[in-house]
Amino acid sequence: MGLLDYYRQFEGLSEDEVNAELRRNAAEERQRALARVDPIDLSQTTWPELPPHTVVNAVTYIARRGLHRYLDPHAGELRGELAALHGIAAEQVVVGNGAAQLLAATAHALMEPGDELVTPWPSYPLYPVMARRARGRAVPVPGFAAEAIVRALNQRTRIVALCNPNDPTGELLSTAELDELLGMLPERVVVLLDEALAHYAERPLDETLPLLERHPRLLVFRTFSKAWGLAGLRCGYAIGAPDAGPLLERLEPELGLNELAQAGVLEALRATRPALNRRTAAVRAERSRLVGELREAGFDVTETQANVVWLRRDGLDGAELAARLQRAGVIVATGARFGDPTRIRAAVQSRAASDRLVQALSRVS
Amino acid sequence: MRTDPTDTGGLFIGRRPGTAPVRYRALPQRGGAARRRLDRTLAFAIAVLMVVVNLLFWGPLPAAWLWVGAQVNYRTNSISLGIFVAFVGMLLTLMGALAVLKRLDHAWVLVRRAAGYDQRKGIIGPVFATTVVVGTVCFTIWLVFIAGLGPSLAPRS
Repeated sequence: MGLLDYYRQFEGLSEDEVNAELRRNAAEERQRALARVDPIDLSQTTWPELPPHTVVNAVTYIARRGLHRYLDPHAGELRGELAALHGIAAEQVVVGNGAAQLLAATAHALMEPGDELVTPWPSYPLYPVMARRARGRAVPVPGFAAEAIVRALNQRTRIVALCNPNDPTGELLSTAELDELLGMLPERVVVLLDEALAHYAERPLDETLPLLERHPRLLVFRTFSKAWGLAGLRCGYAIGAPDAGPLLERLEPELGLNELAQAGVLEALRATRPALNRRTAAVRAERSRLVGELREAGFDVTETQANVVWLRRDGLDGAELAARLQRAGVIVATGARFGDPTRIRAAVQSRAASDRLVQALSRVS
Repeated sequence: MRTDPTDTGGLFIGRRPGTAPVRYRALPQRGGAARRRLDRTLAFAIAVLMVVVNLLFWGPLPAAWLWVGAQVNYRTNSISLGIFVAFVGMLLTLMGALAVLKRLDHAWVLVRRAAGYDQRKGIIGPVFATTVVVGTVCFTIWLVFIAGLGPSLAPRS
């Protein structure tokens, strides 16, 4: 390197050159951003959109008003609103930190060491966990038929946990089948009917509630985490028979549900029911279209009444299929955590989401 | 200009203006410690040279062109031509010297960077300011006490 060249290498770029380079970099960045397609998450059964602003406003109002005291440990106003919604007495309702907390509290309250919890399998993975935590034993019953459940009962059976519609398979026991099942159960067995995804079933939402009059050992669980789209508030409720008050009291969280969740859920109940109905109707319509397309493409899809499709492809492991889909920008849940490693669970959301799922599946399988 | 975010209410939330690092086309290959010492000395020499060139504006260059003008007057017997040549020549020389100063300033910046300094601005401004003060003082002393006004203010006895 010559003497002058040595010093010339310390010449900086001029302002114009720097600006031109910055503009070029910004244009490339913009091109990349426009070309990028974000992955879509279909692994959750929660609703993917933000909550209505009125709900957020209600929560914010309560937060700004002051959180320095216990308000209402029994959530009287919320229970009254729920009772009016379902046409039952407020004493039949208990609210908790999500249906999961109430389910776990029920198992804890009812099960003695060595007792059994019977549940169809594959199903919601919380049931075996809550049986273990209550020092009991989970008895998974393959399939989703009432007869199989009855066959699995014995002297130690204390709880039958039934997710209806079933997560992840989407299968549904009709109200008549449920009635029949409840009639066949021994005196000691309590049925926990988890209706977290009931909004998506093709039947009236409260069709199962009259069963409470005839079967006092039935508890129905609902949640605001799924169709209502308020998972972050952690709020669910249980409905019992008219004389189930003492048991329901034992399920209530110590000092009650937090004030923010109560405010948000109350506002949702009062102001956002039409939006909820539109949303669930859209999912039901989209679900039947998606199931038809997947079956046409050669996938084995169970009949579903939930906001999920439970599918498999012959010769392809569920984990491998999920991994390939993830590389194609679609995230789904593998079936292994629900009890069937050959399948995957994908949520039904919008038409655009379904199209991306179908396109990705056609590319990777 | 107040450019600190705490002074401007957060107007400049990124880097303060004028503090961006120098962008090179390619990363320079710097010399060793001896080379950098030499470059520091060279930069100092260039700065001294700039001061010298600047000081030429305040005496030697005007005097030289007045001498040239006097020669023209003497040879052509034309005062106007002598004054014209002296003033035009002086102006052109000043412009040329300014161009030289600008190049020296640029060279000084490069040599300072080569010496290891994060040098972003030249010193042509400070050199001018300094030599204006020095030149004005020297010229005033010469004019008042040595050449022109001196004898009338303080007549030789």
